[in-house]
Amino acid sequence: MSAVLEKVRTQGNEARYGAIRIDDVVKIYDPEGAAVMAVDHCTLDIKAGEICMIVGPSGCGKTSLLNAIAGFHDITSGAIYMDGEMLCGPGKPKADPGADRIVVFQNGALFPWKTNLENVAFGPMMQGKLSKKEIIEKARSMMADAGLSGTEHNYPGEVSSGLRRRVEIVRALMNDPKVLLFDEPYRALDSLTRSVMHESLLDIYYKNKVTIFFITHDLEEAIFLGHKLVIMTTRPCRPKKVLEVDIPHPRDYSVLTSPRFRELLEETASVVHEEARKSFASGEKEG
Amino acid sequence: MEQVERLLKRTLPFQVVSPETLDGIAEISRHEVFKAGQVIYGAGQPAEEVYVLVSGRVAHRIDPDIKARVHEKELQVGDVFGWAAILEGEKVRLADVACIEAAEVLKIDGARLLELLRKDVNFGEAALKSFSQLISQQYYLPPSVSERVPTTLSKVGDTRTPASNEAEPQTASAWTLTMYRASAWLKSPDPYLMMVGFALMLGFWYLTVEVLKLPRFEDLPGLTTVVKEWFAEDPVYGMSIYTAEYYQHIWVSIRRVAIAFLLATVLGVPLGLFLGWSRSFREYVFPVFELLRPIPILAWVPLAIIMFSGSETPVIFLTFLASFFATALNTMLGVESIDESYTRAAACLGANRWQVFKEVIVPGSMPYVFTGLQISVGVAWFSLVAGEMVSGQYGLGYVINTSYTMVRYPTIIIGMVTLGIVGYTTSAMVRVAGNYMMQWRLREMALGGR
Repeated sequence: MSAVLEKVRTQGNEARYGAIRIDDVVKIYDPEGAAVMAVDHCTLDIKAGEICMIVGPSGCGKTSLLNAIAGFHDITSGAIYMDGEMLCGPGKPKADPGADRIVVFQNGALFPWKTNLENVAFGPMMQGKLSKKEIIEKARSMMADAGLSGTEHNYPGEVSSGLRRRVEIVRALMNDPKVLLFDEPYRALDSLTRSVMHESLLDIYYKNKVTIFFITHDLEEAIFLGHKLVIMTTRPCRPKKVLEVDIPHPRDYSVLTSPRFRELLEETASVVHEEARKSFASGEKEG
Repeated sequence: MEQVERLLKRTLPFQVVSPETLDGIAEISRHEVFKAGQVIYGAGQPAEEVYVLVSGRVAHRIDPDIKARVHEKELQVGDVFGWAAILEGEKVRLADVACIEAAEVLKIDGARLLELLRKDVNFGEAALKSFSQLISQQYYLPPSVSERVPTTLSKVGDTRTPASNEAEPQTASAWTLTMYRASAWLKSPDPYLMMVGFALMLGFWYLTVEVLKLPRFEDLPGLTTVVKEWFAEDPVYGMSIYTAEYYQHIWVSIRRVAIAFLLATVLGVPLGLFLGWSRSFREYVFPVFELLRPIPILAWVPLAIIMFSGSETPVIFLTFLASFFATALNTMLGVESIDESYTRAAACLGANRWQVFKEVIVPGSMPYVFTGLQISVGVAWFSLVAGEMVSGQYGLGYVINTSYTMVRYPTIIIGMVTLGIVGYTTSAMVRVAGNYMMQWRLREMALGGR
């Protein structure tokens, strides 16, 4: 890791793509006439190569926002832009899913019927841009970089959940995405595995500068990883407090015990707690 | 001396040995100091002593000709190296070892160490095993090296070549695994419970029919009568394992089921996949499908006879029909069971709709498809017998039906038991085929302990 840190110090942030602009987005679910507002006039700017952490109580509508960026759901009004180009907006309610914005799912979505290597190779295989041999070579070297050598021919069900998450991130990075969208990916992991995953995510991030849109309800995770912290109100969701985390990257786990980290935690904990209480009082279902 | 023992106790191979052995090892170990940059030994030199690092930093570089996964490493205090001195066969250094900083080591004579460990009846073997573990896990060497540690005490003077050791586990593994499973099964209570179950059923049959002769039971063919008839060279009622007729009936039935089952699979799986995948296709087809599905197979008999000529096709049609519905329905459920995040992930990764179908929908529904196929074989046999009773000139269902009209009661039972055996075998074959095609699921379940 130290060599990587050195590289980051000397080269700095090099991402030029993947700036996301969420402009006055509203999402109303209307399944049986009973309109439920999930996202309420949400506006947010994410710079290219930034790690943006979205924190909010469970079921507040954060995932609706993610689904809109990924192109899984439409939006009711407003617009979302990536690098100035409209993904969805007036006249085009639903974005097209594409390999420039890849989601890492809450419960993991590695195909259990494919080996780890086949999973990692999946994106380029489908897009047909490279030859099969080149794809396999690239997949092997990327897996080796992420410390996954030796697990290429295992099925995802045969390796630990922490390793699975790493394979999934490598699968996403194979496509040189501009944005990675994380939907509470570490929620099901135990706290020790999670801390390892955080460092490994940062490690991967320092090697491949991408924009990261990361949903969580864990405030410590959010401050530890993020450049930017966005605390959402309970449903309907809207940014309540946006905060730049001024702890310099690259970070490692010693950050957790630093005074600045504690200060930021104190500054934000009460805001999050208040929203969580509102959410609890309104009886929101978790999820 | 005490200090030496304490240090030895910290090393992986010696932490298990008995206090007496530890005393012995401490006695034969000699203390030596090396300066920074000094070479402790080089690859190719004769290996006589095993080393333990007491302090300092030492670099260990394995000869590249030896297929280690990692060739270079820095040793930690307490690490054991120079274990080539206790390997079987040629005792030659496999690595270059040099000090990065000044280092203190313990040198233990290999031959005397082996002697001491062999005397330690309780723990010597364990210590040698952990040597072999150390070689493969900390020095990343292939089994051809680690297996040269003489791990069993009785192996003194064993002259096996390392090459044969290496080849064995790979070729034998599948067979050994099967044998292991078989022996584990025999050791568990399962086979005996199974035998008790059979004994109870047969005993009940024998008692009620032949011993107690209960009312209504006395007319049934008894256990002994059936068994005698079944295995008679000259059967009273004309059918036993010695008559060609018996096999002709079995063959005809199997052929009908095979044709019907294959047709049902070839048509039912794609239908189910499309039903689950395409909403508009489903709107067209599913209501019709759901209306036809609950109609019992027997209700189709007249139509089948009117629609198809001869005696063969109506039976195959009836058999096919039941299988087809089971297969198609389960396949559809299989498609519905696929987690939405898989299709979303595929879309994210740039797969188009057809690729999603091929790469996600088809493999993802396989577990349900094979459940469906197992049900499908079962109902195929069920409707086959129904069909054969009505039409047809051969087949096990036909045997059962005609034996009834011709009052050949033991033959009925022979037909029934044969149906049971053949039906079970075909369903087991489908299960094996499914497991073979879904290695991923098998391995996942094996790890889950299920």
